[in-house]
Amino acid sequence: MPRIGVFVCQCGNNIESTVDTRKVAEEMKDLPGVVFTCSYKFMCSSPGQEMLKEMIKKHDLDGVVVSACSPHMHEATFRKACEKAGLNPYRCEITNIREQCSWVHPDKTKKTGTLKSMDLTRMTIERLKRNRPLKTISMSVTRRALVIGGGIAGIQAALDMAEGGIEVILVEKEPSIGGNMARLSETFPTMDCSQCILTPKMVEAELNENIKLYTYSEVEKVDGYIGNFTVTIRKKARYVKEELCTGCGECWEKCPYKAESEFEMELKERKVIYTPFPQSVPNIPVIDAPDCVMIQKGKCGVCAKVCGPKAIDFEQKDEFIEEKIGAIVVATGYELMPNERFGEYGYGKIKDVISGLQFERLASSSGPTGGRIVRPSDGKEPETVVFIQCVGSRDEKKGVAYCSKVCCMYTAKHTMLYKHKVHHGQAYVFYMDIRSGGKRYEEFVRRAIEHDGAMYLRGRVSRVYEKDGKVIVQGADTLSGTQVEIEADMVVLATAMVPRGSAVELAQRLGIGYDKYGFYNEYHPKLRPVETVNAGIYLAGTCIGPMDIPDSVSMGSAAASKVLSLFAKEKLAREPIVAHVDTPVCNACWDCLTACPYKAIEKEGIRDREGNIVRWHAKVNEGVCQGCGVCVAACRSKCIDLAGYRDEEVFAAINAF
Amino acid sequence: MEKELRERARELLESGEVGVVIGYGWNRRKRRTTPVFIRKPEEAERLVFNPLCVNNLSVYLTRKYPDIQKLGRAAIVAKGCDIKNIVVLMAEGQLKRDDVYIIGVRCNGVVYRQELWQGELRPEIMPVKCHNCDVREPHVADTVVGEPVLFTPPEEPVGMVFDKIREIDAMSPEERWQFWMDHFSRCIKCYACRQVCSLCYCERCITEKNMPQWIETSAHPRGNLAWNLIRAMHLAGRCTFCGECERACPVNIPLNIINQKLVLVVKDAFEHRSGYDPDTHPPLIVYDTEDKEDFIK
Repeated sequence: MPRIGVFVCQCGNNIESTVDTRKVAEEMKDLPGVVFTCSYKFMCSSPGQEMLKEMIKKHDLDGVVVSACSPHMHEATFRKACEKAGLNPYRCEITNIREQCSWVHPDKTKKTGTLKSMDLTRMTIERLKRNRPLKTISMSVTRRALVIGGGIAGIQAALDMAEGGIEVILVEKEPSIGGNMARLSETFPTMDCSQCILTPKMVEAELNENIKLYTYSEVEKVDGYIGNFTVTIRKKARYVKEELCTGCGECWEKCPYKAESEFEMELKERKVIYTPFPQSVPNIPVIDAPDCVMIQKGKCGVCAKVCGPKAIDFEQKDEFIEEKIGAIVVATGYELMPNERFGEYGYGKIKDVISGLQFERLASSSGPTGGRIVRPSDGKEPETVVFIQCVGSRDEKKGVAYCSKVCCMYTAKHTMLYKHKVHHGQAYVFYMDIRSGGKRYEEFVRRAIEHDGAMYLRGRVSRVYEKDGKVIVQGADTLSGTQVEIEADMVVLATAMVPRGSAVELAQRLGIGYDKYGFYNEYHPKLRPVETVNAGIYLAGTCIGPMDIPDSVSMGSAAASKVLSLFAKEKLAREPIVAHVDTPVCNACWDCLTACPYKAIEKEGIRDREGNIVRWHAKVNEGVCQGCGVCVAACRSKCIDLAGYRDEEVFAAINAF
Repeated sequence: MEKELRERARELLESGEVGVVIGYGWNRRKRRTTPVFIRKPEEAERLVFNPLCVNNLSVYLTRKYPDIQKLGRAAIVAKGCDIKNIVVLMAEGQLKRDDVYIIGVRCNGVVYRQELWQGELRPEIMPVKCHNCDVREPHVADTVVGEPVLFTPPEEPVGMVFDKIREIDAMSPEERWQFWMDHFSRCIKCYACRQVCSLCYCERCITEKNMPQWIETSAHPRGNLAWNLIRAMHLAGRCTFCGECERACPVNIPLNIINQKLVLVVKDAFEHRSGYDPDTHPPLIVYDTEDKEDFIK
């Protein structure tokens, strides 16, 4: 006969106000196998836990039911207490009589709540009678980490992990690491030059012995589970042998062909063999194959002729590299919403309407104009610049519903940069609200308005059109209630930040969640902001949602600390709530395999003495299984069971109702 | 056609390419056909094919019949509709294409029940599947025998089953419940529907699992309801509407109505027709982020 103890919690008045916990406890006493019951004010308090432990010892309990709040709250607390008292922690089961009972049955006579609590508790007792002690599963860990994305968040994560003594693989799809931050001119609110603070970190990442850089590469495939991932990395053909190239620059000096520069946001041309920017890390060029006359037509080959160390290789092919790792940090960053979607602002048609990032390039001292702010159309200095905020952001109809968070700040910065470079110029800003929460942020915006004379107009722009070489901006100033028309020389659009176009595809490859925009979902938006539902995969930076540089950097560090604490243990321990296959009755129909959202089920063959496979059956990979139970439901012959929730246990609970 | 069939079977057995040919033969009184398992070349003469060959022999390829599997690689005489089941078996990993030699037979339709045969195949005695058949020319086969058949299925499927489905769809939930409870009340739990079905191949059927006993085995209304529902759910998206279960049912439960309704629902929801593509797993059981979510309102 089992010896079960039932502890009914009053949760102060949370449960007690609609459930007569004493009566529940009293009623459970008579059930076979129950040897102790009680009602207690706060089971989760220290005295409550002490009492639990004491009773386990005093009554020699072999199973414990705590009827209290949701198991999400205190299951771990009570299981730990039971373990300390010498019980298998999985012999402790929680009945939820708060969220699913007292809170939803406001019957003050306590009748409904009490009856339902009794039913629920009785069901848990019957379930507990049939459940088995479980052992935590321990798994080995590969102490190496992969960082996807070499922007500031990814670099920070990689550096912190490398500092912590683990090997890091940093994969970046562009020819150089640096990401979007490398494009910025100055950074708010301190106005230090973006590249000046970023490039030391890039170099540090290149020189750190623990960091292996894969630039111009993409993650092709991810297999495995926490502690034991295998990733396949596609190293795109650079047509330059990395081990030979010295980065002397002779090739891109002499290359006769040009193409539009992605890094300069189409404001400048680059050579066909190129590095994105002078401080590129690594300082090894790539050949842009679709534009290369040698690769396409077999004529030219100038770069190969001038290359001293003979590093050019037109025959290079994409390479696939397999790496074993234990954790992944995803830091794929953002891009700007294509402005072509906003015809009323003339983007794409009017040359002097540019995006915020293009303005950054114009203002940057390493940019296409060397830091001179000029009109892209005729190269003249603009006397009047209009900045339009919330282009795409906070616009559910044409763009996205969310606020891109950084535009208010960078527009204020743009007006200042403009004023500092064009002293007689006038900046106008059309805004909806000014959102400048953050340390020294509000002061920064005030400075732009009061000190640098930016004219802020609260209202939306209705139309932008070209007239006599000017860009006419029509809009409303809702504060004065007037229509405004400004003859501008240039218009800068603060377009919405959106996730990378390939974000969703990568999320599916990694098995992590994403929202309707394609931003990745955190495990918990407040309490587990860098974790994902797929254990061992962490997030950092703007792939989660719009954020600024300090936030991205801190998330990079946070993700790194998560990985470091994961790797701090010899073995990984995980909850044993996983599925098991009763192999002799498995039909090998693979329904479970196709139904599993986590790819946790594998085919396993049984071999005879000659080594021939005589029978197949399904096998659950305990490392990957999340215990969701889909396979249990899918299996037609019911040969899969979920530990802790075996059919027998669930059936007993239903029968007790 | 029979000559061609016997010839092919003999060759296969003589060359040792297969160990057994599963086909149809006459019973002793030569009035009905029955499954035959030909293992010697000289016995190939026993093979026949005519409108009485209604059985779906693909059931003998499943793990339910380990004795037949021991005879070696099998060749099977299969009509287009039977081949659909073989295709599902392949999709579900029960068979590899090389495990079976399919002798496809071109078919002009079969009788609904052998006892209805009076020497002539009239439309009234043909099952619904034959009236709407789009596989009279076998769609997956190693060899095809018989004269080419000229038949185009009607654009809108015809037959009593479809009329009946419309009728039941129009019922109130209470009437519908009563309709099925009445029919299921006759069920004697003989499991003939399961035994005859080539897609009910589980070595241990859920009804035989008794820890816990999800499906009550006794033939009372609750157990009958549970069994018939689970049979339907386990076949949703897989059933090819071969009609064998209804034919085998000794108490005439109109299982074809359920089966065809399932076919229609799955076609609507997943644009999937069972039995045509050996590389597509039945969709009801596949995790796919692209699945329609129009049922969420």
